[in-house]
Amino acid sequence: MALRVDYIAKETANNLVRNPSLTIATVLTVAVSLALLGAALVIQRGVDGLNTRFKDDVEFIVWLSPEATEEQRQSVDGALADSPQVRDHRFVNTEETYAEFEEFWKDSPEVLEAVSPEQLPTSYRVVPEIPDLAVVQSLGQEFEGLPGVRNVDYAGEYIKRLNDFTRVASNIMLGAALASAAASALLMYNSIRTALFARRREIEVMRLVGATNTFIRVPFMLEGMVQGVVGAAISTLAVFGLNRVIRNLLDQTSFRLFDSFALDSAQLFPVAMTLLGAGAIIGFVGSGIAVTRYLDA
Amino acid sequence: MIKLENVTKEYPGSTVALRDASADIDKGEFVFLVGPSGSGKSTFLRLLNKQEDPDEGRIFVAGKDIGQLSSWKVPMLRRNIGCVFQDFKLLPNRTVSENVSFALEVIGRPRHVIKNQVPAICDLVGLGDKVDKYPEQLSGGEQQRVSIARAFVNRPLILLADEPTGNLDPQTAIGIMRLLDRINKTGTTVVMATHDRGIVDTMRRRVIELSEANIVRDQARGVYE
Repeated sequence: MALRVDYIAKETANNLVRNPSLTIATVLTVAVSLALLGAALVIQRGVDGLNTRFKDDVEFIVWLSPEATEEQRQSVDGALADSPQVRDHRFVNTEETYAEFEEFWKDSPEVLEAVSPEQLPTSYRVVPEIPDLAVVQSLGQEFEGLPGVRNVDYAGEYIKRLNDFTRVASNIMLGAALASAAASALLMYNSIRTALFARRREIEVMRLVGATNTFIRVPFMLEGMVQGVVGAAISTLAVFGLNRVIRNLLDQTSFRLFDSFALDSAQLFPVAMTLLGAGAIIGFVGSGIAVTRYLDA
Repeated sequence: MIKLENVTKEYPGSTVALRDASADIDKGEFVFLVGPSGSGKSTFLRLLNKQEDPDEGRIFVAGKDIGQLSSWKVPMLRRNIGCVFQDFKLLPNRTVSENVSFALEVIGRPRHVIKNQVPAICDLVGLGDKVDKYPEQLSGGEQQRVSIARAFVNRPLILLADEPTGNLDPQTAIGIMRLLDRINKTGTTVVMATHDRGIVDTMRRRVIELSEANIVRDQARGVYE
């Protein structure tokens, strides 16, 4: 059986170099379509990461005026406690607010120097029963008018808008990726068909001397899968490169909100595996159809 | 070894290629199939190694009804049937010994078997000194010897030859016939379709004559007409 393995390896390699322009075209098409898929996956993971970061966070913040009295604070507290739509609320004092402030601006010491804890307002972080943006907004408005309340911020609103935008963007990319994956499977099909045609004499002889169908098919199927996986490897490198660019961009800003869009290697690994798997599937399907149509006929 | 029972083969949209043909060929026989072009000789041969399936009738090879054979067993049938053609069907980018070993490689024979058998068979067909030549460097007769070596290297029970001398001059053809005769003497059943009157008349073997898809004559030690 050792002979079989090196025979198949040799035949697959020969097939790949027999028609280099078509092989390269196929590999590149696979690479481009899978790079799109990879980018879409990275964005989706970024959005997921963004959501995880903010899921446990406040849905809205009731800021108290600096000059609010203790009675006013207690009446706001009471109103929050009594409201059936509020699941949970928490008072954040000036020290805590400053700690968050410090964390947020840690790369800009000049901002931190300009602000002291006493200057920062206190607030209530409110978690509503129903985390729906419309509900949260009408609920927030109830508290906006209370004495001692300066204003109400809906942290979730920005996240949700961003979320919607990136979801649409990544779905469009996913659609483009699927369309070009179909195109690369078709190109794969043609590439393998050409290889079958180039080797029609060998195939005829193989059949006459009694080679099994599997034996005839395997080098062609492998050829398709090698092209698919090599294309996938290129797209994986492209996605890694893209990720590095994103990380560098994020490192240059002090804005931490988008940190989740730069994936770490534990998050990139499944993306890479998905791409390599998709490449192998494109190769398998494209070459499989070609081989079935032209050898079993 | 080979038995046809009332075999009919019709190609879709065209005429009947073989009609109600019956024949019984024993192990070790040498049989000429004669008749004009289009009389059904090639179809007869193609039915025997299941390149075609009959529309009616049954065909037995080595005692087995090959109509009952499942498709994955067809390669095993073909390993027992060597084929030689008028146009040789050699692979131009492979040397003589590579062409011969190809037939063993693709049926998964171990390397040491190939190493032993290929030079031996090349000697047998008289090409021991040309194993590293490419087909285009050989004469027609030599190319046909390579194709016979390839067909015979796996020691098949049956050798089918479709006009093996059709492209060769008479002198060269005699050499090929001597080789086929030698192979036949090792016990291999040979069925050969031919137009070559001289060869048939000289060798005086069994002759099955086809005319317009019918077997019209089956004669031991026969002549061309």
